[in-house]
Amino acid sequence: MAVSPGILQELRKESGGEDLDLSWLDRPLAERGLRVAPGKRGLTLEDIATSSYGAIPASTSNQSGRMRGAAPRSDAQHTQMIWPSKAASWSESAMLLYEEAVQRQWSSAVDVPWADLPDLPEEIELAMSQLCTFLTQVEFIAGDVPGKYAPNVSGEYFEIGLFLASQIMDEARHLDVFRKRALANGIGLLQAGPGAIGLLTAQDFTEMASTLHLVGEGFVQSMFRMGEMFAQSEVDKRMFRLAAQDESRHVAFGVMHMKYVIEMQPERRDEIHTYLDRMEGQLGTGSAQAGLTGGGQTGEALAILLGGGTSETQLREGYLKLLAIRKRQVNEYMHRLEVVGLGDRRQRMAPMMQALLN
Amino acid sequence: MADSETQGQPQAAPIAPEIPGIPAPPALDMSWARVPTARPAKPTIGAEGFTLKMADAGEYAYAPDHWPYENDTPRGSYPAKDRGLPAPYTIYEKAEVWAENCADLYEAAIREQWKPATQVSWSSIEPLPDHIEASLDQIFSNISEQQYNSNAVLMGWLKEISYGYHEVKLYLATQTFDQARHVEAFRKRALANGGGLGVQAPGFLSRAVFAAFKFTELTVYVNIIRTAFLLALCERGDAIGRSQADRQLFELTANDLRRHLAYGVEHLRHYLLQGDDAKRRNVRAWLERGEIMLAADLRRDRPLREALILVLGGSVQAGKTALRELRQAQLRRYLRALESATFVGHEQHVNPALTEIIDNP
Ligand SMILES: [Fe+2]
Ligand SMILES: [Fe+2]
Repeated sequence: MAVSPGILQELRKESGGEDLDLSWLDRPLAERGLRVAPGKRGLTLEDIATSSYGAIPASTSNQSGRMRGAAPRSDAQHTQMIWPSKAASWSESAMLLYEEAVQRQWSSAVDVPWADLPDLPEEIELAMSQLCTFLTQVEFIAGDVPGKYAPNVSGEYFEIGLFLASQIMDEARHLDVFRKRALANGIGLLQAGPGAIGLLTAQDFTEMASTLHLVGEGFVQSMFRMGEMFAQSEVDKRMFRLAAQDESRHVAFGVMHMKYVIEMQPERRDEIHTYLDRMEGQLGTGSAQAGLTGGGQTGEALAILLGGGTSETQLREGYLKLLAIRKRQVNEYMHRLEVVGLGDRRQRMAPMMQALLN
Repeated sequence: MADSETQGQPQAAPIAPEIPGIPAPPALDMSWARVPTARPAKPTIGAEGFTLKMADAGEYAYAPDHWPYENDTPRGSYPAKDRGLPAPYTIYEKAEVWAENCADLYEAAIREQWKPATQVSWSSIEPLPDHIEASLDQIFSNISEQQYNSNAVLMGWLKEISYGYHEVKLYLATQTFDQARHVEAFRKRALANGGGLGVQAPGFLSRAVFAAFKFTELTVYVNIIRTAFLLALCERGDAIGRSQADRQLFELTANDLRRHLAYGVEHLRHYLLQGDDAKRRNVRAWLERGEIMLAADLRRDRPLREALILVLGGSVQAGKTALRELRQAQLRRYLRALESATFVGHEQHVNPALTEIIDNP
């Protein structure tokens, strides 16, 4: 839909109009005439992914900064960093999850009722500080890893880039809220663990979805969802609930990416299994059966929180509950594998995890 | 006594029932509870809640000039004996990333986050003459594309910044999320009112952003040059926008950009004050490069130039005058930012390519 020639002619005839080109109005190379109205959830990315702007190409030769649907220029600068294929990063749920992320942002400063933090026995607060030291340690990694791939995501698939930014924001808030929790009780940070730098070794976006989203964040999500069990007050419950909500989005993004890849490129199944083999090996080898969510010190801290203290009875109770969390982690992991199309992993899973399957 | 951590305790009897394949838990150790980390004072929570600045009080506030740990050890925790793989971080010097205002900007950004889908009065937009709508869309497309570039590249830099400067990484996360929403919001506006996207940008400055070798160089291009120019444009949103929604977009974006500029200015100031002449020389080189690339974009981008002329004036002539005023305002914004960063007197040294396109836009 071009601007009427009459108007253009008049503009050119105006004083000062002689140097106007106006060909971009005369012969627009991008689709025009879109009138997208907001729906129940406002004006969303899905609403505007319509007509040619919603045609997401399976591959692209666009190596410039051009956003999907914009008109090209012949002198636009190129960068070879940009991945040409949709399957390299696409996740069907990215638009929805991004919009949800925007709507469900929260503040670690005011949305957690810090003033209500009760005075609890020191051993309990020590254990909470230890758990939060572990959590605050690994949270940035979950932002650094997706960030690493953002420069490769083409403007043709910009929704993926936007989702990654929302995950980076969420992880920052997680780092921050767990740090605050460790510092709120007069104890402070405690023993750092071996950390999660290994996740940064990912060499491929789908490898990242397998190792970070499906396994790493998946296990953390299951644990946060059971936060009621080890939370010591409304403050902790709220903190874990809010964090769990965010993790669900990250996990869902990765799951939907893997599902897409396995559907579009079934030849990658074996390769993806090897990433999971590696993760399960790492996760299964931790001592004190704590490897599934951190080092031995985190397992012990969790057991103390779950059992309500350090007496033998309490610890026994704590480790039993911890085992229940592990079971849930492994079974929810298995469920995600089924969703992405890797249900055959039930037979291939590391024995220590297999033992916990229903 | 973290040293006792790996020595273990005498094996006591297992305390939970065994499941085949699952080792029994060990006896109580709690060496992690005896590590010599600082005990902070309990905070008194005020109206702003429990802020990062309050949390990182006392010893926890101290960010050393050089961060010594190569993994993800949180600042203030007791480092593990087994730290696993050294991370790929390359930035361990405070001078390369620090800005004194990060913790405050981080909390401010979270307080001020807005939601493009629901907080912009999309239904306030009325149909406009085709050439005006198309011109607005050209401007919106340009902003969306610029912010996508800033955002994508910045996200890629996070893995370079070591863990000790968490305030910086936290702040930068808010900046990426702001930029993502700018990409989103302006694209939505371009598609909402009978229009579509315009022509892509030439991409000279975007290419420089990709090619930045140093983090401070990146912030010079993104947080100083691009942001100052974009901010001055958004601050004229009343003259550009035609609806309440347009004005909201410009106003909310400007508010975010002021934080981005504030980080850029504070960081540049810190970088310059920590250093010697060499640092000043670096900044001069980056500014020159950024100015040349920006000038190339402005000179080549005819659709953007003409869109601004058509939108800013009631007539072509008036539009041209208004465009020159806009360009001058942008340059002033930029120079003022440099002055605040203690880089004074630059108005005499702006690259001629840029002054030329400012004077004859
Ligand atoms: Fe997280
Ligand atoms: Fe996450």
